[in-house]
Amino acid sequence: MPATESQLLPPDLMAQLERLELVTRKVFRGRMKGERRSKRKGQSVEFADFRSYVPGDDLRSLDWNLYARLDKLIVKLFLEEEDLHFFTLIDASLSMDFGTPTKLEYAKQLAAALGFVGLIRTDRVRIETLGQSSHHRGPILRGRRGVWRMLDYLNSIEAGETTSLAEGVKNFCLRNAGKGIVVLISDLMDKAGYESALRYLVSQRVDVYVIHILSQEELDPAVKGDLKLVDCEDQDIAEITVSAPLLARYKATLNAFVSGAQEFCNRRGMNYLLANNQTPVKDLIGSYLRRRGLVR
Amino acid sequence: MPDFFYNTLTPWQWGLLALIPPAIIALYFLKLKRQPLEVPSTYLWKRSIEDMHVNSLWQRLRQNMLLFLQLLLIALAMLALLRPGWESSKLDGERFIFLVDNSASMSATDVEGAKNRLDEAKKLVGGLIDQMDSGMTAMLVSFSDTPQVVQEFTTNRRLLRERLETIEPTVRGTDLKGALELADGLANPSRMPIREGDKEIDITEAQPAAVYIFSDGRFEDVKGFSLGNLKPYYVPIGSLDAKNLAITAFSTRRGEAHPEQRQAFVQVANFTEAAQKATVELQLDGGFLDAKEVTVPANESTGVVFPLADAPAGKLMARLKYELDKSTKQDALEQDDVGYAALNDAKPGRVLVVTPGNVALEVALATKRAGKLANVEIKKPDFLSAADYKRDADSGAYNLVVYDQCAPPTSPRANTLYIGQLPPGSTWRGNAVTNAEKKNANESKKDASDAAKDATNDSAKTEPAPTRAQAPQIINWDLSHPLLASVELANVNLVDSLVLEPPPGATVLIDSTAGPIAAVAPRDAYQDAVLGFEIFGHAADGSVTANTNWPRFLSFPTFCLNAVEYLAGGTEDAQLASTRPGRPVELRTSGNTPELTVIDPAKKEHKVRRTAQDIFQFQNTSDIGVYDVRHGDQVIERFAVNLFDRQESDVRVRPTQGNENSTLRPADIKIGNVDVQATLGQTPSRTEAWKFVLACALFVLILEWYIYNRRVYL
Repeated sequence: MPATESQLLPPDLMAQLERLELVTRKVFRGRMKGERRSKRKGQSVEFADFRSYVPGDDLRSLDWNLYARLDKLIVKLFLEEEDLHFFTLIDASLSMDFGTPTKLEYAKQLAAALGFVGLIRTDRVRIETLGQSSHHRGPILRGRRGVWRMLDYLNSIEAGETTSLAEGVKNFCLRNAGKGIVVLISDLMDKAGYESALRYLVSQRVDVYVIHILSQEELDPAVKGDLKLVDCEDQDIAEITVSAPLLARYKATLNAFVSGAQEFCNRRGMNYLLANNQTPVKDLIGSYLRRRGLVR
Repeated sequence: MPDFFYNTLTPWQWGLLALIPPAIIALYFLKLKRQPLEVPSTYLWKRSIEDMHVNSLWQRLRQNMLLFLQLLLIALAMLALLRPGWESSKLDGERFIFLVDNSASMSATDVEGAKNRLDEAKKLVGGLIDQMDSGMTAMLVSFSDTPQVVQEFTTNRRLLRERLETIEPTVRGTDLKGALELADGLANPSRMPIREGDKEIDITEAQPAAVYIFSDGRFEDVKGFSLGNLKPYYVPIGSLDAKNLAITAFSTRRGEAHPEQRQAFVQVANFTEAAQKATVELQLDGGFLDAKEVTVPANESTGVVFPLADAPAGKLMARLKYELDKSTKQDALEQDDVGYAALNDAKPGRVLVVTPGNVALEVALATKRAGKLANVEIKKPDFLSAADYKRDADSGAYNLVVYDQCAPPTSPRANTLYIGQLPPGSTWRGNAVTNAEKKNANESKKDASDAAKDATNDSAKTEPAPTRAQAPQIINWDLSHPLLASVELANVNLVDSLVLEPPPGATVLIDSTAGPIAAVAPRDAYQDAVLGFEIFGHAADGSVTANTNWPRFLSFPTFCLNAVEYLAGGTEDAQLASTRPGRPVELRTSGNTPELTVIDPAKKEHKVRRTAQDIFQFQNTSDIGVYDVRHGDQVIERFAVNLFDRQESDVRVRPTQGNENSTLRPADIKIGNVDVQATLGQTPSRTEAWKFVLACALFVLILEWYIYNRRVYL
């Protein structure tokens, strides 16, 4: 494992991640043979089960010893080892360019960490942004060698995409019809709502993880006085006079928003995780995502 | 403008003020340039605001809280400028004179809500001053026994208020007339009557003025004063049932039985409706000397006598200690619970008798008692030309010089008694013509009444000047004068006598059918007593004959003793017993000292120089207490200043007399022929609310500041 000085993937994080692997609860068909034991039966050295022979089965898998003993044609089944399609979808809208570290930066680190886990387990890792056009797709990465390309690609991602959440997710689904794990990293701040976007993902029958990134400024705004709030994406203006009840109302709205998203996801079998940009990526992956079952 | 408001600004000032609220509103909206702040998304904010817009009117109000507070502030300020208040009546007229009584009785503490009556009066005057319009002028006069202009006519209310505060209570009596005369004079300063035939015409039109008298009514009705165009209002201050006990007299004197021993006499007056018990404590130089309990019947006074034995000279203080009934108020006036008296060393006077020979006089002055009072030296008339006499007479070494049948070339620096002679100088020698006329008139007038009286004088000598009368009959003598105290002259016959022409200011002691034959008159710091008749005369042949049968009576030695006592300083205690505050005191000294130091009760030193009349006059007797007179370091004399004024000590506001069934109320005062009704509690005064409104405005300002700084909203 070559050491890397990348900001996105510090060595100590790498060392921690090497022990992890991506997990999916669903049965997916990989395209290539991978290191992952599949729930499907297939060809590997690891025995799984027996079943009666039916015409058409590969004769090579007949258990001749049993045939000799029982005079019945029994087929030996082996566990299939296959790869996993792991997609990370990053929201690179302007709203992600806020906070310290910026939410986009945080999203990139998270994507890098998760992608690294996938790569070292020879999963098929693909990182895309919401605003990517259908003909310009992100690279498909596999294996340790892909780490550098992945990091290069991540570094090239810049905030400023204007595609709406729903549109971006829709495009993504069109581009990537296959099954696998989709991690959507976004702040879900879309005036049209996040629901339609997430519904697209549900229909894909992929294992969906929604990592909802919010900056500290959004969770606990430190604003004062008479303000004209300008939306960085659509230049929408909200005039507020900060007051205790307004702040309380904001908190309530925020809580409603977060819990609404969580409930929405849980109902549809998606995993929802709220991430504060102040939580280190290491902790997030090491504890929260592990608990959620994305990594093991 | 209704009574509730009082306009303080001119219309254009109001116009300016009215511009402020629109300006605030305009500025508020101009100022509301919200600071732009870029946020990731206004998504949540919008939803928050939408939630809050549900009750948008209240929200808007909350958002503009500062604006409303500012508007409220300016509204309160405007309200304060309108001077809201309540008044019972309105000030009438344009010119006001406020007469504030600051006499001793105004220090009584029987008014609720004020320190004393003067405070209450000041409060009332302040209320009136506040009520004055811009066109009104007022004058402030305080009066006790003398009026004092505190502030001349002015429209400046602030100045009036400031000056009002400078009125201090005094320990003096009350004289309203002086104050009224002063007010009248100042109210119409340029009034100058022109006589045109019988008519008197004022060249300036008299301007009416309202006179407000704030007093407790403890003064005599004012007589001989015409109010003219002054419109009087009398505001009685104090309660009708104020209780007070007072020391109304305190003196030291020689005992009747033992004249060599001194006694202190304290008179305690009870100005309540019930008998009161009190303790009179006597202190000498701060140390306790004696105390006696005394019961004073209601509305009466009682005397207490303390024997002083041979107490040393010092400051005597009598203090009245008593407790009024628990249910009633405490002593209303404290200033009169203390009396002071000076105890001076009894110095025997030095008396020089210059006589060619007068057995009666010599015998009369040779008594034991006279010896105690004075050292009597008897000399022949030729002593008058001796150097010793000149030196002692000029330096004031004698207290009394008796010139019997002789007269010095110049008056000595001493009290004198001339027997059968006139003092040198022209003061006792009036115009000869008028003298003669007077004499004739006197004689013709008295003829009828004198016919019945026994006339023993047979020979009458007439001298060109002074006038002499033969066999004058004594018709009257001044028993109240100390010189003639206990002197009976009814059957004294005279052969002849000088008819005196007493100078102005003299007191005639003995009046006869021919005119005054004995008188006493002040001369600078001294007194000259003149007996017009000799005791022993010289007949034409030079033999000594008796001029009067007076020496045969007991009254002659009594007179001699009186003369020594009174003129030789034997009664100086009595003379200086009690000076009223504010009255000048004449200090007598022996010797030629150019300057004396008087130390007042507050230990302040005052230098006193001889006045042109060769006497020491001390004026600053405003405080009560004992004053030390020093020459160098030596206390040569003490005198006491006391309020001993029954009128002032009786602090009950004078009630109406008679009319038993009507409720007791303060009496009206009478000025000239006008009854001025007591306007009890009817002083036009105004309760001002602007201070409260301003306080509210201040509170609003603080609230606004707090909200602005803390961003705290409801």
